[in-house]
Amino acid sequence: MKNNIRVERAIKNITQGELAEQVGVSRQTINTIESNKYVPSTVLALKIARVFGKPLEEVFMLEEGD
Amino acid sequence: MKPHFLFPYWCRYLGWGLVIAHVPMSIIGRANGMINPLDNPPTQSLFTGEHLFFICTSLVMALGLFIVAFSREKIEDEQIWHVRLDSLRWAIYINYLVLIASLIFIFDTAHILELNLWVPLIFFIIRFRWVIYRLNRSLSREG
Repeated sequence: MKNNIRVERAIKNITQGELAEQVGVSRQTINTIESNKYVPSTVLALKIARVFGKPLEEVFMLEEGD
Repeated sequence: MKPHFLFPYWCRYLGWGLVIAHVPMSIIGRANGMINPLDNPPTQSLFTGEHLFFICTSLVMALGLFIVAFSREKIEDEQIWHVRLDSLRWAIYINYLVLIASLIFIFDTAHILELNLWVPLIFFIIRFRWVIYRLNRSLSREG
Protein backbone atom coordinates (compact mmCIF):
# COMPACT_ATOMS: atom_id res chain seq x y z
CA MET A 1 0.00 0.00 0.00
CA LYS A 2 1.35 3.41 -0.88
CA ASN A 3 0.30 6.81 0.39
CA ASN A 4 0.74 10.48 -0.27
CA ILE A 5 0.95 11.70 3.30
CA ARG A 6 4.11 13.65 2.47
CA VAL A 7 2.28 15.60 -0.26
CA GLU A 8 -0.79 16.15 1.91
CA ARG A 9 1.43 17.40 4.72
CA ALA A 10 3.11 19.84 2.38
CA ILE A 11 -0.31 21.14 1.20
CA LYS A 12 -1.51 21.53 4.79
CA ASN A 13 1.93 22.78 5.84
CA ILE A 14 2.32 20.57 8.92
CA THR A 15 5.35 18.62 10.12
CA GLN A 16 5.54 14.90 10.86
CA GLY A 17 5.58 15.75 14.56
CA GLU A 18 2.41 17.85 14.34
CA LEU A 19 0.58 15.15 12.39
CA ALA A 20 1.77 12.53 14.89
CA GLU A 21 0.44 14.62 17.76
CA GLN A 22 -2.94 15.09 16.10
CA VAL A 23 -3.47 11.38 15.53
CA GLY A 24 -1.88 10.28 18.82
CA VAL A 25 1.14 8.30 17.63
CA SER A 26 4.91 8.82 17.68
CA ARG A 27 6.83 10.69 14.97
CA GLN A 28 8.63 7.44 14.11
CA THR A 29 5.30 5.86 13.18
CA ILE A 30 4.37 8.69 10.78
CA ASN A 31 7.88 8.52 9.32
CA THR A 32 7.73 4.77 8.67
CA ILE A 33 4.22 5.05 7.18
CA GLU A 34 5.43 7.82 4.83
CA SER A 35 8.35 5.69 3.69
CA ASN A 36 6.03 2.70 3.13
CA LYS A 37 7.83 0.62 5.76
CA TYR A 38 4.77 0.24 7.96
CA VAL A 39 1.12 -0.27 7.01
CA PRO A 40 -1.14 1.47 9.53
CA SER A 41 -4.28 -0.03 11.01
CA THR A 42 -7.64 1.02 9.56
CA VAL A 43 -8.30 3.22 12.60
CA LEU A 44 -5.01 5.10 12.23
CA ALA A 45 -5.44 5.44 8.45
CA LEU A 46 -8.92 6.92 8.97
CA LYS A 47 -7.57 9.34 11.59
CA ILE A 48 -4.81 10.50 9.22
CA ALA A 49 -7.28 10.99 6.36
CA ARG A 50 -9.54 12.98 8.69
CA VAL A 51 -6.70 15.35 9.59
CA PHE A 52 -6.27 16.11 5.88
CA GLY A 53 -10.05 16.34 5.38
CA LYS A 54 -9.94 13.85 2.51
CA PRO A 55 -11.48 10.43 1.86
CA LEU A 56 -9.25 7.49 2.77
CA GLU A 57 -8.69 6.47 -0.86
CA GLU A 58 -7.13 9.84 -1.66
CA VAL A 59 -4.47 9.40 1.01
CA PHE A 60 -3.86 5.63 0.86
CA MET A 61 -3.86 3.58 -2.33
CA LEU A 62 -3.45 -0.12 -3.05
CA GLU A 63 -0.46 -1.12 -5.15
CA GLU A 64 -0.03 -3.87 -7.71
CA GLY A 65 0.35 -7.10 -5.80
CA ASP A 66 -1.56 -5.99 -2.70
CA MET B 1 -4.88 2.22 20.99
CA LYS B 2 -5.01 1.44 24.68
CA PRO B 3 -2.13 -0.77 25.81
CA HIS B 4 -3.27 -3.33 28.34
CA PHE B 5 -1.21 -5.36 30.78
CA LEU B 6 1.95 -3.27 30.57
CA PHE B 7 3.82 -1.71 33.47
CA PRO B 8 4.09 2.10 33.58
CA TYR B 9 7.06 3.74 31.84
CA TRP B 10 8.98 4.42 35.08
CA CYS B 11 9.00 0.69 35.92
CA ARG B 12 11.72 0.23 33.31
CA TYR B 13 14.17 1.96 35.66
CA LEU B 14 12.98 -0.20 38.57
CA GLY B 15 13.58 -3.27 36.37
CA TRP B 16 17.12 -2.24 35.45
CA GLY B 17 17.70 -1.44 39.15
CA LEU B 18 16.73 -5.01 40.09
CA VAL B 19 18.96 -6.46 37.35
CA ILE B 20 21.92 -4.39 38.56
CA ALA B 21 21.13 -5.06 42.25
CA HIS B 22 21.34 -8.81 41.76
CA VAL B 23 25.07 -8.53 40.85
CA PRO B 24 26.39 -7.35 44.27
CA MET B 25 23.92 -9.66 46.04
CA SER B 26 25.24 -12.57 44.02
CA ILE B 27 28.89 -11.64 44.68
CA ILE B 28 28.33 -11.11 48.42
CA GLY B 29 26.33 -14.34 48.71
CA ARG B 30 28.93 -16.41 46.90
CA ALA B 31 31.71 -14.80 48.97
CA ASN B 32 29.83 -15.97 52.05
CA GLY B 33 29.69 -19.52 50.77
CA MET B 34 26.13 -19.50 49.41
CA ILE B 35 25.45 -21.88 46.56
CA ASN B 36 22.74 -21.37 44.01
CA PRO B 37 20.26 -24.26 44.45
CA LEU B 38 20.42 -24.73 40.70
CA ASP B 39 24.13 -25.58 41.06
CA ASN B 40 23.40 -28.08 43.78
CA PRO B 41 20.42 -30.35 44.56
CA PRO B 42 18.17 -28.09 46.67
CA THR B 43 17.17 -28.83 50.21
CA GLN B 44 13.49 -29.54 50.72
CA SER B 45 12.82 -26.81 53.28
CA LEU B 46 11.70 -23.30 52.41
CA PHE B 47 13.53 -20.08 53.35
CA THR B 48 16.84 -21.68 54.14
CA GLY B 49 19.93 -19.60 53.36
CA GLU B 50 20.33 -21.09 49.92
CA HIS B 51 16.67 -20.74 49.11
CA LEU B 52 16.75 -17.05 50.05
CA PHE B 53 19.98 -16.63 48.08
CA PHE B 54 18.24 -18.07 45.02
CA ILE B 55 15.31 -15.66 45.47
CA CYS B 56 17.65 -12.67 45.94
CA THR B 57 19.74 -13.40 42.84
CA SER B 58 18.25 -15.45 40.01
CA LEU B 59 14.63 -14.53 40.71
CA VAL B 60 15.38 -10.83 41.28
CA MET B 61 17.21 -10.71 37.97
CA ALA B 62 14.43 -12.58 36.14
CA LEU B 63 11.84 -10.26 37.71
CA GLY B 64 13.93 -7.20 36.71
CA LEU B 65 14.20 -8.40 33.11
CA PHE B 66 10.48 -9.16 33.06
CA ILE B 67 9.61 -5.64 34.23
CA VAL B 68 12.03 -4.05 31.73
CA ALA B 69 10.58 -6.13 28.89
CA PHE B 70 6.98 -5.28 29.68
CA SER B 71 7.17 -1.61 30.60
CA ARG B 72 5.41 0.89 28.38
CA GLU B 73 7.30 3.10 25.98
CA LYS B 74 6.85 6.88 26.31
CA ILE B 75 4.47 6.79 23.33
CA GLU B 76 3.04 3.30 23.11
CA ASP B 77 1.36 3.34 19.70
CA GLU B 78 0.35 0.60 17.29
CA GLN B 79 3.77 0.38 15.63
CA ILE B 80 5.41 -0.24 19.01
CA TRP B 81 2.81 -2.97 19.60
CA HIS B 82 3.71 -4.46 16.26
CA VAL B 83 7.45 -4.41 17.09
CA ARG B 84 6.69 -5.81 20.55
CA LEU B 85 4.73 -8.76 19.19
CA ASP B 86 7.28 -9.43 16.47
CA SER B 87 10.14 -9.40 19.00
CA LEU B 88 8.16 -11.72 21.28
CA ARG B 89 7.67 -14.15 18.40
CA TRP B 90 11.42 -14.16 17.67
CA ALA B 91 12.19 -14.58 21.38
CA ILE B 92 9.97 -17.67 21.49
CA TYR B 93 11.62 -19.09 18.36
CA ILE B 94 15.11 -18.58 19.81
CA ASN B 95 14.06 -19.90 23.20
CA TYR B 96 12.74 -23.14 21.75
CA LEU B 97 15.76 -23.50 19.49
CA VAL B 98 18.06 -23.15 22.53
CA LEU B 99 15.81 -25.40 24.62
CA ILE B 100 15.70 -28.19 22.04
CA ALA B 101 19.45 -27.95 21.35
CA SER B 102 20.27 -28.00 25.07
CA LEU B 103 17.90 -30.91 25.73
CA ILE B 104 19.64 -32.91 23.01
CA PHE B 105 23.25 -32.01 23.82
CA ILE B 106 23.29 -31.13 27.54
CA PHE B 107 22.15 -33.43 30.33
CA ASP B 108 22.11 -30.77 33.04
CA THR B 109 18.40 -29.97 33.45
CA ALA B 110 18.87 -27.50 36.32
CA HIS B 111 20.98 -25.22 34.15
CA ILE B 112 18.59 -25.62 31.24
CA LEU B 113 15.87 -24.28 33.55
CA GLU B 114 18.08 -21.34 34.55
CA LEU B 115 18.84 -20.63 30.90
CA ASN B 116 15.13 -20.60 30.18
CA LEU B 117 14.55 -17.99 32.86
CA TRP B 118 16.64 -15.49 30.89
CA VAL B 119 16.91 -16.37 27.22
CA PRO B 120 13.43 -15.29 26.06
CA LEU B 121 13.47 -12.07 28.08
CA ILE B 122 17.03 -11.07 27.16
CA PHE B 123 16.50 -11.82 23.49
CA PHE B 124 13.17 -9.99 23.50
CA ILE B 125 14.73 -6.88 25.11
CA ILE B 126 17.72 -6.85 22.72
CA ARG B 127 15.57 -7.30 19.61
CA PHE B 128 12.92 -4.79 20.73
CA ARG B 129 15.47 -2.09 21.63
CA TRP B 130 17.44 -2.73 18.46
CA VAL B 131 14.37 -2.18 16.23
CA ILE B 132 13.46 1.00 18.14
CA TYR B 133 17.06 2.22 17.83
CA ARG B 134 16.89 1.64 14.07
CA LEU B 135 13.58 3.50 13.83
CA ASN B 136 15.06 6.45 15.74
CA ARG B 137 18.18 6.41 13.59
CA SER B 138 16.19 6.49 10.34
CA LEU B 139 14.18 9.37 11.80
CA SER B 140 17.26 11.43 12.64
CA ARG B 141 18.78 10.67 9.23
CA GLU B 142 15.71 12.08 7.48
CA GLY B 143 15.56 15.01 9.88
